[in-house]
Amino acid sequence: MDRRHWIDRFVETAARQLAQRTSRRSFLTRLGSALVGSTLPLLPVARAADDARLPPPDDAALKGEVGDPKSCNYWRHCAIDGFLCACCGGSQSACPPGTEMSPVTWIGTCRHPGDGKDYIISYNDCCGQSLCLRCRCTRTEGEKPIYFTSKNNDLLWCFGTKSRAVNCSVAVVLGVATKS
Amino acid sequence: MCWTVAVLVALAAASLAAGADVGGPALDYALNCQGCHRADGAATPGSVPALAGSVGKFPRVPGGREYLVRVPGVAQAPLDDARTAAVLNWVLERFDHDDMPADFAPYTAAEVGRLRRSPLTDVERVRRELIEAITR
Repeated sequence: MDRRHWIDRFVETAARQLAQRTSRRSFLTRLGSALVGSTLPLLPVARAADDARLPPPDDAALKGEVGDPKSCNYWRHCAIDGFLCACCGGSQSACPPGTEMSPVTWIGTCRHPGDGKDYIISYNDCCGQSLCLRCRCTRTEGEKPIYFTSKNNDLLWCFGTKSRAVNCSVAVVLGVATKS
Repeated sequence: MCWTVAVLVALAAASLAAGADVGGPALDYALNCQGCHRADGAATPGSVPALAGSVGKFPRVPGGREYLVRVPGVAQAPLDDARTAAVLNWVLERFDHDDMPADFAPYTAAEVGRLRRSPLTDVERVRRELIEAITR
């Protein structure tokens, strides 16, 4: 006679039935699909990306240069000053291999031409290699004179990085700015 | 169980997206402070001191409450007195609520307006003295 508690017998039966119907590999496959298919940033892509709070707006519907991260007229570049990382082996939000994104940055807003919202944009320099020298871009929306150092984009912003050498600049979306 | 995990992941993603809209003091912080002090108030060693786990200790010692307004980044912020006071109160609550004095009175626009007219000229010395008082 089985003298075990009924809970033990129930759990064993359920576990055996589950094991007969499925395999560990199928569980891992489905778990992996669920995780990879999600929009959560699970990998340590960049420190600035850790700060991001939403998926950036869809640029696919934008026509022309406002939707092209390699163009100075790309909508996120309204206040950038530097070489565009999308032309330097990176993207509009990722540094090129071999460079490190500065955690100290300067931040402004740009209006998305598709949805009309003002997005908070972080302009991070990518540091650790000499100047990229491709796709130079200088735009000054919301920029303040040099005596407001925290709002001036003429400065090199490689602080807290191993190297102070600037390679290029990214424009990371941090959120949507609403009115106070 | 797989579907439970999937639902939890979807809910977490939705909550992140829901937190995307930023306004009021949080927006003023993002546009005027976060570039150096980062979204979570963490330090950048060698460049920027931490707000998180630190800023709430200053009002506990004489001169500390005034210091937080007279530091150049606050005194010279391109915000009016009321919005600067709101950002300061938000920063204290957000990044170091546990260290704030129990009887802390929020900053007012009038107080900020008075203090920011005399910005610190030797920030490092004043900061060092305050930290000595805090750790004493």
